[in-house]
Amino acid sequence: MDRVAAWLHEKNPGLDGPIDADEDLVEARLIDSMDFLEFVDLLEEISGTSIDLQEATIDDFRTLARVRERFLSAAG
Amino acid sequence: MSTTSATALPDGGLKNPGAGLVTLDPVHTALLRGLDDLLAGLAARHGAPEVTGPPLLAAEGLARLDYFRNFPHLGVGAGTFAPESLDGLAGGEPPAGLPLRPTGHLLPSATCYGLLLSLEDRDVGEDGLRLSATGRCFRNETHYDGLRRLWGFHMREVLYLGTKEGALEHLEQGAAFVRETAGRLGLDLTRATADDPFYDRGGSRARLMALDPVKHEFSAPDGTAIASVNRHRNFFGERLGIRAGSHGPAYSACVAFGVERWVHAMILAHGSAERALDRLRAAARPA
Repeated sequence: MDRVAAWLHEKNPGLDGPIDADEDLVEARLIDSMDFLEFVDLLEEISGTSIDLQEATIDDFRTLARVRERFLSAAG
Repeated sequence: MSTTSATALPDGGLKNPGAGLVTLDPVHTALLRGLDDLLAGLAARHGAPEVTGPPLLAAEGLARLDYFRNFPHLGVGAGTFAPESLDGLAGGEPPAGLPLRPTGHLLPSATCYGLLLSLEDRDVGEDGLRLSATGRCFRNETHYDGLRRLWGFHMREVLYLGTKEGALEHLEQGAAFVRETAGRLGLDLTRATADDPFYDRGGSRARLMALDPVKHEFSAPDGTAIASVNRHRNFFGERLGIRAGSHGPAYSACVAFGVERWVHAMILAHGSAERALDRLRAAARPA
């Protein structure tokens, strides 16, 4: 999860402190829509599996807790 | 003194200037005005003051809103003839084919852009702000189709800026107003999620929008979308430094009406412009 948090901080330089596991990353636009596919790429790279956006829902990307559970649990 | 001869249109009516362009006759104009007045009821109901947006928008301002990343194909630019062309033009040379110099400005493609840009670095306060305007909007399209798809058209918008909850409430109120108004006018509308006309339909923004629709449209039975409710999250608030008091960057949302498309939907529903106008006048009468 460190790489995910680092990516979010890199994209949001004004962000102070850690990001809450339940913070709504989409609604607060910590993941800007222009960067969304880059975020998906990052998750694919970390997890080593491809993500089918036809199968996913927006809630799968909404919080760090959900991202961990949905995509990164196997990667630890 | 009779004025009849001066008010009657000539045989054949008013000519249309070309594809995507239209001159509205008196009945269609009465429909357009009357429908816009009725749609302005959403603004009146929620205390949104009426303003008038600027007729041109700075390209630099639009670039900050990612306008060109999203819709480079839609923009209709404002140009001036180069100084070296002026003598020829004044001497009767045809203007077609002469180069135009960019002015750095575009005609608006949506009413809310001019309002949002006018709020840059402002604080809309803890309670937020609503504004409403009708503007003439322009979009380059690949084809034009009567009143359904025009090069230039009128767009009425009711814009909200404030909190996340306030933005959602604005859209719910807007959607209820659309349904209620359609009912009064005898229009049968279908609501569905919608996509903005992104240039890059496989791009990041379009893909996220497919997962999390931020736009819903209300369409007439022939598929013409005549109203939409749109949420922007805090995108414009962040990009333009618009704050909502202690809440930080403002969340925004707008309810938009394509007024010529309402005219089209009324004629579709009631059979002719005259019958549509009768129905509109009946609906606009206080109960």
